[in-house]
Amino acid sequence: MAEENKNSNTDENSKLIGLVAQFDDPESLVQACDQARQAGYTKTDAFSPFPVHGIDPALGIKRTILPFIVLGIAVGAVFIGLGMQWYTNGGSLGEFSTDESPVFPGYRFKISGKPYFSLPANIPVTFEVIVLSSAFATFFGMWFLNKLPMLSNPLHRISRFKRATNDKFFLMIEQADEQFDRGSTEAQLNEWGAVSIDECRRDLTDNNLPSWLRLFALMGAILLLLPPVAIFRAMGMTSRAPRLHVVPDMDWQDKSKTQTVSPIMMNDRYLFADERVMRAPVDGSVARGQLDADTELYQGIKSDYVPTVSLTTPQGSVRTGLGTQDEAETAPPAEDVSMYVTEFPKEITVDEALVKRGQVRFNIYCAACHGYAANGDGLVNQRAVALAATGKAQWTSAKSLHDATVSNAEKNPLGRIFETISNGRGTMGPYGAQIPTADRWAIVAYVKALQETGIKPVVAVSDDESGEGSEANDTGEPATTQEDKTQPTP
Amino acid sequence: MATVNPILDNTYDDAGERSPLILGGLDYAGVTDEVCGIWEADKPPKIWFVVLGAAISLLMVLGGCVGHLLMDGVGVWGNNNPAYWGWPIVNFVFWVGIGHAGTLISAILFLFRQNWRTSINRAAEAMTIFAVVCAGLFPGVHIGRVWVFYWLFPIPTEHLAMWPNFRSPLLWDVFAVSTYATVSILFWYMGMVPDIATFRDRCTSKIGKFVYGLLSLGWTGSARAWHRYEIAYTILAALATPLVLSVHTIVSFDFAVSQVPGWHTTIFPPYFVAGAIFSGFAMVVTLLVPVRKLYGLENLITVRHLENMNKIIMATGMMVGTAYGIEFFIAWYSGVPYESYAFYNRAFGNYWWAYWIMVSCNVLIPQVFWIKWCRTTPWFMVIICVFVNIGMWFERFVITITSLCRDFVPSSWAYFHPTWIDILMLIGSFGLFFTLFTLFCRYLPVIAMAEVKGVMPRPKDH
Repeated sequence: MAEENKNSNTDENSKLIGLVAQFDDPESLVQACDQARQAGYTKTDAFSPFPVHGIDPALGIKRTILPFIVLGIAVGAVFIGLGMQWYTNGGSLGEFSTDESPVFPGYRFKISGKPYFSLPANIPVTFEVIVLSSAFATFFGMWFLNKLPMLSNPLHRISRFKRATNDKFFLMIEQADEQFDRGSTEAQLNEWGAVSIDECRRDLTDNNLPSWLRLFALMGAILLLLPPVAIFRAMGMTSRAPRLHVVPDMDWQDKSKTQTVSPIMMNDRYLFADERVMRAPVDGSVARGQLDADTELYQGIKSDYVPTVSLTTPQGSVRTGLGTQDEAETAPPAEDVSMYVTEFPKEITVDEALVKRGQVRFNIYCAACHGYAANGDGLVNQRAVALAATGKAQWTSAKSLHDATVSNAEKNPLGRIFETISNGRGTMGPYGAQIPTADRWAIVAYVKALQETGIKPVVAVSDDESGEGSEANDTGEPATTQEDKTQPTP
Repeated sequence: MATVNPILDNTYDDAGERSPLILGGLDYAGVTDEVCGIWEADKPPKIWFVVLGAAISLLMVLGGCVGHLLMDGVGVWGNNNPAYWGWPIVNFVFWVGIGHAGTLISAILFLFRQNWRTSINRAAEAMTIFAVVCAGLFPGVHIGRVWVFYWLFPIPTEHLAMWPNFRSPLLWDVFAVSTYATVSILFWYMGMVPDIATFRDRCTSKIGKFVYGLLSLGWTGSARAWHRYEIAYTILAALATPLVLSVHTIVSFDFAVSQVPGWHTTIFPPYFVAGAIFSGFAMVVTLLVPVRKLYGLENLITVRHLENMNKIIMATGMMVGTAYGIEFFIAWYSGVPYESYAFYNRAFGNYWWAYWIMVSCNVLIPQVFWIKWCRTTPWFMVIICVFVNIGMWFERFVITITSLCRDFVPSSWAYFHPTWIDILMLIGSFGLFFTLFTLFCRYLPVIAMAEVKGVMPRPKDH
């Protein structure tokens, strides 16, 4: 009949938890469970390798609330899923839009005018969020309600109980049940068809942690402290070494900047024969908007001019403008003065505004050498002449613009003045890159106006005479003369 | 057969009684012994080591390819104008599709109360998870800067200072495949806990007892626990069913939501889902026929189980074939010249060879399953199922490449060439898959013993 397996331990070392009865097939288990419930036992549990049909009502197990937990989570997930998408993709409520939010602003992707929040587009992610949240709720909810993991269970100490996950069935009646009585409960179990009965005892002696665990935990704690210590130490120190660059992240790129020296490639060769990293523009290339085809406006040269003489200077180009020091006084032998325009180009309107502008620009760029009254008494020129006199500099004195060579309209027509400003002459450097075309014509107009006034310095060039020029009120051709002394403009 | 021996053959259909699902006269202990006994024997099956060795070599090939890809960038693939989507997305859809069969067996057949699923669902779910791992590899490494993969998720970062674009199917994919992987793992693990408890109680090695004890969470088989467990299982099955349909639908949206002719069609979601189940079942059969033979599990994974799976393969294969036909019909019926051309080009253009491989492998070859011998002979059905998988790979190839190589502007039309890395990554992904599956066969319960016992006929009272 039924066997008994009493532990020989006394009650000090172990505590009786309950009686575990074994059955060999599911039917007898279900019947025994039914009997137990009818006998009034409530703290019972059955154990089987698979869920046995009919056990729940036999033992009086009530339905779990797990489905409602999952439902609650799922409903919340609807709002989380939709809300997340609404917020992160720049949703708006009236005036407020999340991409203006100070903390974690949303980001509005503008894609062919599609709405930032639209239910059809946002449903797939919402659906997946619902399923994921519900699955987590189901999974973790079930284990939590089952009070698992419970890795230590006195049931596992019963060797027969190992068959519970194989092919045998067990019924346990707990000692904590009110009806429990060691003797009569056992008798009842036998009556209900138990094949064997075991005591389930909790071992009270073995409550300490394994001895090695303490040392292990201590070593583990020390090891885990090392990284934070290292980090905080590094945060408080300085270092001359470059940072650790763990992820290169396209920070060093095999590319060259424009118009630099070529890197040396395979076989010790440069990318191009001239050692550049890219080719120079083809000769004669002109950037857009810089063709400057109108020679009258941009160069002061007549548009119908055909060169009759070779226009090369000793330096080889008409436009170098940089003569040697001692040749600055004489024009290069091959220059043909007739190529220059003698009137202002049609785009330039010569009026008071132009001359005023020319005055401002002249004072900025030209007065430093030529003086405010164009007498050649600018401070730079004075200093340079002084230095040249002592041999410390090589300098060709800046001309007074009232000088005959400059003011003569045949020898120095308007276009030639313009050309001088643009390309320089002698020691004077080219100002074409600094002064826009219209401003250069304005300066030409002002120069002619100054020449009309013919102001000459009263005192020697030394002191504080910073060139008090008077302004001529020119409104027409430079040929007209007007004397209208206005306020000196420093 | 005139007389049928139910101990040996359960493929007959008798209107009076159900065919047995377990052969060999096994009882509960017998089921446990069949499954656990494989690795408890003195001499474990040597073939396992051979298979594992081969799989690991292919896995190393994959590792080399992925390393090369990460160092040199996605230019090592053949993806280029105009086929910017090439083998990687084909492989991704291929593997994700294979995974769907496992969830169907686990979840959908459970809801339909098809008890025969209990012998195969564990291996099928494992296959799902490993297939999803292989699938997830491809989008994972194709992003270029793999080290900032977390930008795919809505995580606030200083570096990017942007959120994902929730209107993009590519992002829906991220959520769908992540959810699918997670839920599959939860479902699979939850199903395994009672069987791992069986392993724990039978194991003799210390490490085994510790690990299985940990993984089984202290499961005792308590009826109260079973009650909540069963309800949780049903809920997860009910969640996994729309999940599996939605995941492959969202994968199909990668194509269907675009404007490319041949892609922009509403048939894609059901067509892809049917195709996924088709290829997945073929892979399950391909895996289980050797496993049952080498492990001696013919009494649990019976010929009837295989035959049922083959019938599902036929059904879904014919759905796929119907979809092919409908696509052509609509392409003609619509009168849209671009749509018509897209499909004409598939069958008769420069990729005609891929198209006809696809049609013959997917539509014609599975028709042999009408013949009873074909669908009940294990070695033969493996051959057919391998062809089915080849055909399904070519289906994704045809969809992706032919539409891209003949897209909007004829000046962009070109012929796509894969590189060696493309090919080796596909082969290597099989290495990853088989490595994981082989390890699963060794260390985890291959058959859901608790579920099989639950549907077995109860022992008669003595």
